[in-house]
Amino acid sequence: MCNISKSDSDDQEFIDENQEIELTNRVFEIDSNEELQPLDGEQIWCNNMIDDLEDGVNINNFFHRVSSDQVIYQAKKRLKMIGKYVMGDLLGEGSYGKVKEMLDSDTLCRRAVKILKQRKLRRIPNGVQNVEREIKLLKSLKHKNVINLVDVLYNEEKQKMYLIMEFCVGSLQGMLESTPTKKFPLFQAHGYFTQLVDGLEYLHSKRVIHKDIKPGNLLLTLEGDLKISDLGVAEGQGSPAFQPPEIANGLDSFPGFKVDVWSSGVTLYNFVTGQYPFEGDSIYKLFENIGKGDFTIPDYIEDPLRNLLLGMLQKDPDDRFSLQQIRQHIWFTRRPPKNAAPVPIPPLRGDEWHRMTVLPYLFDHYYDAADAANEAQYFTERELNGIQIKQFFNENLVTLTVSEEMMKNEVEQNNGSAQTNQSSKRRWKKPISCITVRRLPGCKQS
Amino acid sequence: MINYEAGISSYETISTLGQCFEGMAVVHLARHLPSGTMVAVKRFNMDRIKHEAHLVEREIILTKQLQHPNIITYHVAFVHLQEVCVVSPLMAFGSCRDLLNTHFNEGLPEQAIVLILRDLLDASVRAGHILISASGKACLAGLRYACPIVLNGKWQKHIHSFPGSTSRNLNWLSPELLEQNLQGYNQKSDIYSVGMVICELANGAEPFAGVSTTLMLTEKVRGCVPQLLDCTTVSTDENNECHGDCDISNNVVSRRFTEDLHELATLCLQKEAIIRPTASQLLTHPIFKLTKKGLFLPDLLKPAMPLSNRVAVNTDEVTNLDVIQQLSDMEVYSCEWDF
Repeated sequence: MCNISKSDSDDQEFIDENQEIELTNRVFEIDSNEELQPLDGEQIWCNNMIDDLEDGVNINNFFHRVSSDQVIYQAKKRLKMIGKYVMGDLLGEGSYGKVKEMLDSDTLCRRAVKILKQRKLRRIPNGVQNVEREIKLLKSLKHKNVINLVDVLYNEEKQKMYLIMEFCVGSLQGMLESTPTKKFPLFQAHGYFTQLVDGLEYLHSKRVIHKDIKPGNLLLTLEGDLKISDLGVAEGQGSPAFQPPEIANGLDSFPGFKVDVWSSGVTLYNFVTGQYPFEGDSIYKLFENIGKGDFTIPDYIEDPLRNLLLGMLQKDPDDRFSLQQIRQHIWFTRRPPKNAAPVPIPPLRGDEWHRMTVLPYLFDHYYDAADAANEAQYFTERELNGIQIKQFFNENLVTLTVSEEMMKNEVEQNNGSAQTNQSSKRRWKKPISCITVRRLPGCKQS
Repeated sequence: MINYEAGISSYETISTLGQCFEGMAVVHLARHLPSGTMVAVKRFNMDRIKHEAHLVEREIILTKQLQHPNIITYHVAFVHLQEVCVVSPLMAFGSCRDLLNTHFNEGLPEQAIVLILRDLLDASVRAGHILISASGKACLAGLRYACPIVLNGKWQKHIHSFPGSTSRNLNWLSPELLEQNLQGYNQKSDIYSVGMVICELANGAEPFAGVSTTLMLTEKVRGCVPQLLDCTTVSTDENNECHGDCDISNNVVSRRFTEDLHELATLCLQKEAIIRPTASQLLTHPIFKLTKKGLFLPDLLKPAMPLSNRVAVNTDEVTNLDVIQQLSDMEVYSCEWDF
């Protein structure tokens, strides 16, 4: 059996950031020739061929006609480490770059990392300054409802910056979009809104105005805690639909804290109605509508919630509720009854439990070398070509989904086989592990 | 009933028993002067603890709230300069980790394990740290990372909180807790930790000790069930030498734990939490019925001696000995108990 392996396990550093999946070329036995069998493959195919030809060996012994469905590739998830963190899959795209999952290999705590490319930052006006400001700011903040910056790493060579944050499972925006009505039941809206006010009150006490409060910037942890995120908005406007009249009208000066109150009002309006108080076909039209300050609240929204929304969406910032008034408002102080099923966190790439995306990389790293033949997933060149053609049209999407599924299968298979082992009465295992183990590369910056 | 004063002047420090909380707290052996009783005084250095101050607060509040013969009691807690001091009864045999370090490198005898387990399961809080009193009573301590299962008056079906700040206790944690996904975990996670403690007490070291955290994670997620090491689990060749690169002593290879203890550990260490028994179900396991009446834990722990006896001999000498003991322990055992 010929087994040509082009894969090289130590080239991790050269893997392109964007390349989620590494394909390893493995060619397996095809109509094996008896003369070839004792040879272990590799050199013959490539290096020694000329020598062999000179020795007058029949050329047909070496050139096999290989059908494309007999050339087999293996989907691989190559382990990549940034400092002590193991890199996982994409979680989303932030305003300045990708957000990926990471695993702290010391504490095994799941983390999220915002990857910033300095080259991109420089192209944005004030980009670098804004990020530096965000880092400084985030470092000085610590509150249950404000996203916590855990660590900052730089890679001078690659001109990349890694902002390592608390891990979140998704944004309220994503949850709203996943439901048909685009809204939360009142008790759920209330739970998030009270946490938003807690976080905002803290930010304001630290003389920080967020300026871009909206469901997309409110994240949820596994425990269901709300985290205000994305404090690095560029100078100027946040999301248009959430901007207050004083900004829509282009006023020179206005009380800053009330900007956050307004956008929290729009956010609460959105939570409970699934709509926006102000809309417009263009940003000009939208700002014109906001500037007028006229909006309606659907009839099914009753007092005291109606009264709270009206108070938060007062056109004049001076008339608008303060956070203290909101906190004392009767809708805020009384929890609505839990009379409907809460909107769940939508699945991430088909995984309703939001499992660690780092695991497949670790599995590959620790076990693939040992039992690749038994457990790894393979697909043929023909299949791959099909995928690549699709990929050509679908811009990457297909390969990602296909391989993701494969990885999942692989994990399940691994679990399956491990379970069979344990059910069959105790069997000798080395105290720790019965598999050969490759060491994690040290703190290699890649 | 002795009244323990909330002031450092009532306590005379005799020696250091150990460090904990990553060196940010010290446990002293002390004498309560008015009554002459020996106590343990744990002193948290709050200047160093800073951001984790809430953990200290939680530990003290939770420990004071819980009243159970197998959970450590705090007599009194008070502030002295930059320190928070907690006075508790002296647990004269120290922690199980101490016992393993000093006298039982290859594990405790089975009957001792069973006695300790019975007390531990009675308490049914997550296995944090087990202390043993002079009379042989096992107690849980170190509730710093314990998390309340009742929130806002409701029993939480699933918990997601993860101790992000420490890597100390990772080896004892269940796969579902480590996985940190939306499935969460519940009190069955503690049962897994109990299983790890069984292995630790029997083998002398917890499973995965010295293994990288990430490999420990993947092994647990794959469903690897740690085992008690004895002649039934360690395979040997004709010469009675064990295979591979393992350095397992002859003692371990030739000993034999009962089938019951093996079963108990395996039950607790099931990957699927739902299959694991509850604490009360575990207590009905035949192993606890078979224990002979009149078995006395301190007898089983010989040659280990309760602390008060040693102290009685010569305080000064013991102080020095203890310090030396502490230093050497720290170098050798990177995984001292987090108490």
